[in-house]
Amino acid sequence: MKTITLAVSRFDPAVDAEPHLEEYTVRVNEGARVLHALHAIRDEHDPTLTYRYCCGSGQCGSCAVRVDGTPALACMAEARDGMTVEPLDLPVVKDLTVDMEPVIAKIARICPSPDAGLPAKEEIAAIKPLRDCIECLSCVSACPALQVTDFAGPTVLRQEMRLALDPRDSGDRITDAIAKGLFYCTTCKRCTEVCPKEIDIPGKAIEKLREVANRRGLTLPRHREVAQLVRETGRSVERTQPTFLEQVPEVIEPDGPVRGEVGFFVGCMFNGRVPQTALDAMEVMKRNGIRVLVPHDQVCCGSPLIRTGQTTDVEDLKRKNIEAFARRGITTVMTICAGCGATLKNDYETPFTIKDVTEVLTEYGIEPPAKLDVRATYHDPCHLLRGQGIRDQPRALLCNAVREFVEMPSQCCGAGGGVRSGIPEEAKALGAKRDEAVKATGADVVVTVCPFCEFHIADCTDVPVKNLVTVLLEGYRKKDAKTGE
Amino acid sequence: MLVDESVDAHVLVIGSGGAGVRAAIEASRYGGVVLVSKTIAGKGGCTTMAEGGFNAVLREADSIDVHHEDTLKGGAYLNDPALVDALVHEAPERMNDLVRWGAVFDVTEDRQVAQRPFGGQRFPRTCYAGDRTGHELIMTLLDRLDATDAQLYQEVSVVDLVPDENGAIAGAIALDRDGSPVLFSADATVLATGGGTQVYDISTNSAAGTGDGFAMGYRAGAELIDMEMVQFHPTGAVYPYDARGRLVTEAVRGEGGILLNARRERFMEHYDPARMELSTRDVVARAIATEVLEGRGTNRGGVYLDVTHLPAETIETRLPVMLEQFLAFGVDIRREPMEVAPTAHHIMGGLRITPECRTTLSGLFACGEVSGGVHGANRLGGNALAETQVFGKRAGESAGKAPARGGRVDQTRVDGVLRMLDGFFEGAASPAAVRKDLKLTMWNQAGIFRTAPDLRTALGHIRRLADQRLCAASTANLLECCTVRNMCTTASLIVRCALLRPENRGAHVRRDATVITEPAMSPFCHTYVSLAREGIERREVAG
Repeated sequence: MKTITLAVSRFDPAVDAEPHLEEYTVRVNEGARVLHALHAIRDEHDPTLTYRYCCGSGQCGSCAVRVDGTPALACMAEARDGMTVEPLDLPVVKDLTVDMEPVIAKIARICPSPDAGLPAKEEIAAIKPLRDCIECLSCVSACPALQVTDFAGPTVLRQEMRLALDPRDSGDRITDAIAKGLFYCTTCKRCTEVCPKEIDIPGKAIEKLREVANRRGLTLPRHREVAQLVRETGRSVERTQPTFLEQVPEVIEPDGPVRGEVGFFVGCMFNGRVPQTALDAMEVMKRNGIRVLVPHDQVCCGSPLIRTGQTTDVEDLKRKNIEAFARRGITTVMTICAGCGATLKNDYETPFTIKDVTEVLTEYGIEPPAKLDVRATYHDPCHLLRGQGIRDQPRALLCNAVREFVEMPSQCCGAGGGVRSGIPEEAKALGAKRDEAVKATGADVVVTVCPFCEFHIADCTDVPVKNLVTVLLEGYRKKDAKTGE
Repeated sequence: MLVDESVDAHVLVIGSGGAGVRAAIEASRYGGVVLVSKTIAGKGGCTTMAEGGFNAVLREADSIDVHHEDTLKGGAYLNDPALVDALVHEAPERMNDLVRWGAVFDVTEDRQVAQRPFGGQRFPRTCYAGDRTGHELIMTLLDRLDATDAQLYQEVSVVDLVPDENGAIAGAIALDRDGSPVLFSADATVLATGGGTQVYDISTNSAAGTGDGFAMGYRAGAELIDMEMVQFHPTGAVYPYDARGRLVTEAVRGEGGILLNARRERFMEHYDPARMELSTRDVVARAIATEVLEGRGTNRGGVYLDVTHLPAETIETRLPVMLEQFLAFGVDIRREPMEVAPTAHHIMGGLRITPECRTTLSGLFACGEVSGGVHGANRLGGNALAETQVFGKRAGESAGKAPARGGRVDQTRVDGVLRMLDGFFEGAASPAAVRKDLKLTMWNQAGIFRTAPDLRTALGHIRRLADQRLCAASTANLLECCTVRNMCTTASLIVRCALLRPENRGAHVRRDATVITEPAMSPFCHTYVSLAREGIERREVAG
């Protein structure tokens, strides 16, 4: 047995204006789950504590709560001393119970056609990963799109795809999915992160539904324009100035001895819209002895097309990119765009390794820059944090480059998944939430490692937004200026 | 306390597991169906948690007769043969219903429903959806239910059945989420409340498995049979402490898992060398319990269940829930063995029913685990899900066809229930304390191995617990008091019947048995218990 203290959100609509946290100290067994700590409170302190539970083994989806802010099944998450237990971010009925029924009612039911036979083995295999959902509504609680739109929720779209894949179903799942907010998803993958069954709803449902929508000519006009641009130019972004690739040679030698070598996948944003950041990155590589090979025949990675379901031309892009790097014998390809990096890592099968710039710099180790005299916060790009599982490296690099680093709660900025172009008002509303979060940190600068996030957040806040490589370069310049004195 | 809301129905179905929802679907063909669910539908009961599968004869090489024989033999010939007939003949068609309604069962290359071997069966006839078969089944049934005009009341818990002036069951009183009473009246009532092994300290059942249906049926005057027949599933988790008893599906052994004691001996050789790990559950559970009792168990009081010799891919695709659950507790079953021990799993006994699911009370039908007789003295894995569908449909049909009731709800009985509820506000005993005491008593004195003195001690203690005046801390806590009261009743029924059966039969083992025979030659048939009588039936044995 051990003693733990936990704070639990209490709310009785009959007497309370709003929920409040109450602290309890209880004795629980080793290995006890959150649910057992709640039982201990109910049985030993307050029998009126209200919470749902049933199977106790992660199978029924009754007991999802937020533990320290993150949704989890109370019966599976281990109870920790000092934890805070709150209801899911849904209308609260009492204490930890929320109104689940209205959301569950939005989850579509199959409409089997009378003469349908058994699906084939491959069809069953395709459906199964989407069938594991236990409707705990963790994803609905955590989805950022739901905070600013009437998006029906990740699991609701999951079910549309599950039904679209079933030859027995006679419903029009694409029309339904669009009505339920198919284009609202930023593909931030927060839903997958909190899902107790780890269902990849953006990848296996949303993007696939968008593909079917595309085949039926239902892609949003703004997204179609992007696909048209890629077809015409090989790039998803219109050039507004001389591109990065036009400004650099194919081989960029470092200043000093060569410590390493990487290929560089620049990506459309850094190539055409904000080439200066990519040029800054090259300076940082030169300074740290890393030779950079830049195949000029590289094209768009295809991410804007995959995320919006326009996959017809993606295989061609993949082939061109893989050839461009493989032909030159490159074994490690570096990205400084989180979106490109996640796409190359997750949607490609490459004969070379993909690394984000923060991974490359961390592995080689960098010359410490002078610390800039600023308070900086860091915005996690979704495609870096969840798309590539990179959390610590950018923070460590940033901490060494600024006077003060302050954390900010991680949330999607709203730029991804084609939302910035397709549903600009949603992107703006999510951006405004980032602005609030930035302001709450009191930071002088927001640092990130994704051009889409950088560009979008800069549109939504008056605090300067910079790429990490630019901050590093500024640190080196400051250092050089000092030495020069 | 007054009734807040009254609902009138043609058919009232109590319970939203596989049997209840199937009954409601069938009854809806006759109109006026109300389904009352203690939980959010699909989240309660044990169907959702059923992992391994659904037995149905689907192949030429298999036969209905063999399924019939396997079920009787597994049930130690205590099963009601007419019920087994219905089960084995109709399971294939009920399986087809599910597939037609959109269930995502695993299929073979040649587009047939896939089947795996389960214990005590001579043919691999257990259909499955990975190891989340019950979840697949209930999600499919809820889809189908949604297409009917049955009305669903969620998080409304029935606390007692109520008769009409003529003594026929005429409906039920329930409590909503706030603890306000709701009166349901109906021409026919279907009890589909599932099982009750939560009366044991170590149990696989969901929190809803508190035996409410056994207790309510008993109080209403129905006769129950074979309540001593409690299946201890051989493989429940032993760690962490609070998750002990959590089901480790028989599919683990079906897929090739082996049992080893702490000396790494494959001990099933000594108990059932022919069937080994795929012997029937009663045999395997006793084997494990014996290994542990005789000092060959692990430090945590279990044995090893090992699948590390299987390809990782088999484990990942056929046993994903097991893999995930054990990983959550720090064990990677692809690389290290699980630790398991028996856990109270299923109550084979229950309300006595006819093949049409009529109970001994007019107006009351029962199906699923709350009914008795289908599985005899031991249930085969995979027969419970099949039972929910076969008898759910039968109960729904019988109830749907029931004539309009003559009499009105007996108001004095309604008032009696309301007074009982009011009484909980004046009680003193903590329901939590009574529940804990009861569960330990049942585990220690009415578990796998039983003796008359232990059972009598248990019964005396249960009666003392049942006499305590439970205290409700708020109206929302009334349900907890009702539940604990039901648990006491169910526990006492198990113990009373265990005392009535002086033999070893299937899951029921009396260390002090006075009659030793082969099951097929036993002179005994069902134990029975009701408000009016209790006893054990005898039967003629040839030869």
